[in-house]
Amino acid sequence: MRGFEFLRPGTLNEASALLATGDAAARPFAGGTGLMLMMKTGVFSPSRLVCLRQTEAEHRAITPTGDGGARIGALASLSQIEHDPLLCRLAPVIARTMTTLANVRVRNVARIGGTLAHGDPHMDMPPTLAALRASVVTSGTASRTVPVEALYAGYYETILQPGELISAVLLPDQTGWHSVYLKCTTRSADDWPALGVAVSVRMDGTTITDSRVIISAATEKLTRVAAAEAVLNGATAGLAAFTAAGEAARAVETIEDARGSAAYKTELVGVYVRRALQQATGAGGN
Amino acid sequence: MTEVRCDIAFTLNGAPVALNIGGHENIVDVLKRLGLSGARESCGQGLCGCCTVIIDGVAESGCLTLAQLVDGRSVQTIEGLDADGALSPVQQAFIDAGALQCGFCAPGFVLMSHQLLAANPDPSEAEIRDYLSGNLCRCATYPEIIKAVRLAASRMRAAQAA
Amino acid sequence: MNEIRSISAKQVGRDVPRLESRQKVTGRAEYTHNITLPGMLYAKLCRSTVAHGRILSIDVSAARDLPGVHAVYTGETIRTLIAEPYFGPAFHDQPILAIGKVHFVGEPIAVVLAADPYVAAEAAQMIVAEYEELPAVFDEVEAMTSAAIVHETLKPAGTFADLKHLSGKSNTNVALDYQLRRGDTDAAFAAAEHVFEHEFHTQQVMHTPLEPMVSIAEPGDNCLTIYTASQSPSFVCTEIARLFGWRENQVRVKVPYLGGGFGAKLYIKLEALVAAAAMLARRPVKLSLTMEEQFYTITKHASTFRIKSAVNKDGRITARRCEIFWNGGAFADIGPRVTQKSGFTSPGPYDIDNVSVDSYALYTNRPPAGALRGFGIPQLVWAYESHTDLLARGIGMDAVEFRRRNLLREGRPQATGTLMHDAAIIEVLDKTAELMNWTAPFERGEGVIRRGRAIAIGFKAVVAPTTSGAIVNLSADGSAALYMSTVDMGQGSDTAMAQIVAETLGLVAERVKVVHPDTDVTPYDMATLGSRSTFHMGNAVKLASLHALEQLGAMAREVGLPEGTNYEIRDIFLKKYGMQAGNIIGVGSYVPPYTSPQKGTGLSDNVTPFWMVGAAGVELSVDTETGHVTIDRLINVADVGRPLNPAIVATQLSGAAMMQLGFTLFENMDLDHGQVTNASLADYKIPGMHDLPTVMDNVIVDNNQQNGPYGAKGVGETATFGVSPAIANAIEDAVGVRLTSLPLTPESVLRGIRALRGEKLEG
Ligand SMILES: Cc1cc2nc3c(=O)[nH]c(=O)nc-3n(C[C@H](O)[C@H](O)[C@H](O)COP(=O)(O)OP(=O)(O)OC[C@H]3O[C@@H](n4cnc5c(N)ncnc54)[C@H](O)[C@@H]3O)c2cc1C
Ligand code: FES
Ligand code: FES
Repeated sequence: MRGFEFLRPGTLNEASALLATGDAAARPFAGGTGLMLMMKTGVFSPSRLVCLRQTEAEHRAITPTGDGGARIGALASLSQIEHDPLLCRLAPVIARTMTTLANVRVRNVARIGGTLAHGDPHMDMPPTLAALRASVVTSGTASRTVPVEALYAGYYETILQPGELISAVLLPDQTGWHSVYLKCTTRSADDWPALGVAVSVRMDGTTITDSRVIISAATEKLTRVAAAEAVLNGATAGLAAFTAAGEAARAVETIEDARGSAAYKTELVGVYVRRALQQATGAGGN
Repeated sequence: MTEVRCDIAFTLNGAPVALNIGGHENIVDVLKRLGLSGARESCGQGLCGCCTVIIDGVAESGCLTLAQLVDGRSVQTIEGLDADGALSPVQQAFIDAGALQCGFCAPGFVLMSHQLLAANPDPSEAEIRDYLSGNLCRCATYPEIIKAVRLAASRMRAAQAA
Repeated sequence: MNEIRSISAKQVGRDVPRLESRQKVTGRAEYTHNITLPGMLYAKLCRSTVAHGRILSIDVSAARDLPGVHAVYTGETIRTLIAEPYFGPAFHDQPILAIGKVHFVGEPIAVVLAADPYVAAEAAQMIVAEYEELPAVFDEVEAMTSAAIVHETLKPAGTFADLKHLSGKSNTNVALDYQLRRGDTDAAFAAAEHVFEHEFHTQQVMHTPLEPMVSIAEPGDNCLTIYTASQSPSFVCTEIARLFGWRENQVRVKVPYLGGGFGAKLYIKLEALVAAAAMLARRPVKLSLTMEEQFYTITKHASTFRIKSAVNKDGRITARRCEIFWNGGAFADIGPRVTQKSGFTSPGPYDIDNVSVDSYALYTNRPPAGALRGFGIPQLVWAYESHTDLLARGIGMDAVEFRRRNLLREGRPQATGTLMHDAAIIEVLDKTAELMNWTAPFERGEGVIRRGRAIAIGFKAVVAPTTSGAIVNLSADGSAALYMSTVDMGQGSDTAMAQIVAETLGLVAERVKVVHPDTDVTPYDMATLGSRSTFHMGNAVKLASLHALEQLGAMAREVGLPEGTNYEIRDIFLKKYGMQAGNIIGVGSYVPPYTSPQKGTGLSDNVTPFWMVGAAGVELSVDTETGHVTIDRLINVADVGRPLNPAIVATQLSGAAMMQLGFTLFENMDLDHGQVTNASLADYKIPGMHDLPTVMDNVIVDNNQQNGPYGAKGVGETATFGVSPAIANAIEDAVGVRLTSLPLTPESVLRGIRALRGEKLEG
């Protein structure tokens, strides 16, 4: 735990510069909840932490975009997002996801940028945001916009380059879309999920015109299930289509851990994808 | 490793304090040095709430909060609640509802209940469970804690109305 | 209000709030966790990374050279101070730091001392040990015959008669082979209408008190003061004195409030290490375990229970054979007592003429196991009550009716031959059935969700024979202080004992002061364990109070006050001393009568001073697509004698039941070649707010424990008994799946459902 530098630059660009040293033990520090856990358990010993909190004034705002969506600054805390009126209107699924994410104290401190950059496949916000077709904007020398589902390269791995920082999350217009996130825990009620399923469907009457099916936690990294979406798109919303989508989703490769065997998680995938779709298109969705 | 040290100054339960700390130390380490042991480290991982502190009005897990981050800010601990010698309504309700056994978790639950009632003066049982689900009690005093929060809420609302 | 005299209000049976409530809600209650002494060093441990191995070398040089490190000690350093540095309540098998070999992953091999705990932790990481790995054994049944031997020779402590024959034995992992034989089981099985045989398993779990284990030793001149979060200050004192070859009065052990114990803080844990380190360093030393380290220190026995019963055509159980294997891990701790004291109740609270029990304490290369809220009973009830439901099902009889037919009644002999007294077994069963509305139709759910219900009942004998002592100091103003070594770890013993003092002396319980365990000051007590305190210490406190009362009466007579006077206590003193002066010391000590079980048969006509009885009733829903179980209703019914403080008793019942709910549904130490892979609350899940059953009722049946203080007896463990089997039985009732291993995970339920349909989950 001892002996790391803790730097507090005033802008994300300065932060990027302080991080682009080639030292893998130098990391950006946002809420610090993920980092502190890793540091306390000895999984990670930093040489340098670059705190981003001084950039809050600039990077924690949640603002409407011209096209009906929203822009969330990377330093917005999860609690702020949970209670933001704009987001609650635009995508109530976000606030609902928050109620089962960690706890009030963690949500008070954790930032959306750190949450997306952490790369732990068990986390709840990445699947929800991926289903909402959100993307992240990065700062640094080569700023780019990356869909959330494309952010992850593997277990605890993102495609972010050293010094590349998330500066914002862009949420597109949700008109016509209905989204649900289901977190399935298999031990105590409050636990890391054995499976996370986020779905979004766009409907025209009873016909599904577009969809997103995202699986997390049961897989090595967040996974968008194109095969399930293919079953849904163009189909009539209903048990038959949802069951078929669940069946198609079972093809994702699940991994065994203390929360369940791979075979069990595959069962859960089929059931939860169907149930998420039912909820999204029934009373519970939006 | 050579240790990086720094000076911090903050407000603790309304009074200014300044001290030199290790850059790696968390706020619970520092509070302990200042003689306060109401915030206490147990799980050390943000899960149990035994280390709850209120920083600029917001609840945090002290075990995950680097002490240097409170520089210039205001920290409130359980010891601040009865500074005037009188128990807070939440504390009194915890006693009346028998909402403690070994009591190790009690300061965290009391502080979190205060935060809940400040945001939501009339929480439903489900809202109480959701809000306090980030605090653990190994003695499993949960039913009594829920009772205590409801008791405190009704007494506080009655006091407001009066 | 400062009234100390109670005029009319009854003190016993009143819901007195915990005396220390205010200190606890303000964060000011004293725990060992909070204590810092001037000049204190922090200790951090380096632990074994192999499950079984010979230590080839331990290189501490880098650690020692780290700036800020005061000292680094290994087992060899400890030996310069104590020639035979092995401790333990049943066997002297636990080295203060490993010597020669290591027995499990996590065994302490070296300790670093530094004024800064972060420095000590960093240095501990820098210690490098080399081992020659030895074959290891992890399973309790395999340990019976395994070639891997955990301890070369057995070293019983000498305190327990039934362990003496094991002294010096080698080439075995069996740390006790307990036997009970009554009647003729072979003949009964041969003559039986029906014979049923099953095997049940429990997993290794941990107490996880939220105040992690912590001890401090402060050296003096040929003496030591130990501040420790311990449930057994008297034992710590005795054992430390033995290790150092000292008189007991050279060791002072002080215990404030405990932030939870549940059996984790029993006997001796970190005390020997801090004592030795403090003597070597000549400075106070504090060792605070992290939550993770607790998993390497003490756990609850995993177990295998093979149970076989003969049932006749009237639904009477005529014979039962029990074979239990207790996974004790690397050090015996109190495992052999669990093996015996719980072993003799393993046939259950049933009236069975022919019983045979074999209960084995086994060493394995896992983290050590000891007592956890029930002293082995929950493992046993889990098995025999699952089995009992299977018997009823097997002969087509209602589960409550089958139990009612077979339960032990007042005056009937239990398996040991001891006659049952004051055990409200039938009453507890009937109350549970009544609360469950057992004879009414039950809503069984439809579609994906299926509902089931069930009950289970268990009993426990208190550990015997044990001793408690108490002192009551009655001051000249009429106020009283109670000196006792019972540790308040949340069970409310300070309050309950103050109520006994108050009731006996006519005082107000809230005004009685309780002096916390301090072996220089408070009298001997065996330990705060196994629900023994209310009864044993309660009796001692009552005797001490009566002793004071007797002296007060004598004083009144002496100053010429008539018999039956209603003079205030302070007026009696005033009359005697002419001023507010003097005091009365009442002393009490209590050891209940006991008959040692006969060798070989285990029979005894007085095996325990009292029985605890607890039942659970469960209604639950199963999601048949995922296997998820929702507990809709949990009813805990207990015989606690007369409750001294009904509100605290109810909280104890629900707390115990919730704890057992965690052990039933999800708590599990994941082990990989002896390495605990989930040693943190992030990965080892304990029950939280959202795990509460939708409805939970805690009910006390009317009973009076005639030899108990004001009719009371123990309560802390009773509600753990029935929870696991009631849930498993209700799952079978809901979906027809019988689970025989804990925890009852959704995956195991779903696998069972699929198996019934002749399907399998792949993989
Ligand atoms: C007790 C507890 C329970 C939890 N339970 C859950 C749960 O149920 N569900 C769930 O989803 N999560 C859970 N989490 C994880 C939690 O959501 C993450 O720790 C948190 O979201 C991380 O955000 P942070 O701002 O604290 O990140 P930090 O710890 O500051 O950073 C996390 C990672 O992101 C990097 N980083 C930070 N900001 C940026 C940026 N702007 N650009 C690029 N990289 C950046 C850091 O270098 C680090 O690698 C839990 C955590 C705790 C402590
Ligand atoms: S110790 Fe900080 S939350 Fe548990
Ligand atoms: S009262 Fe003991 S942990 Fe909550």
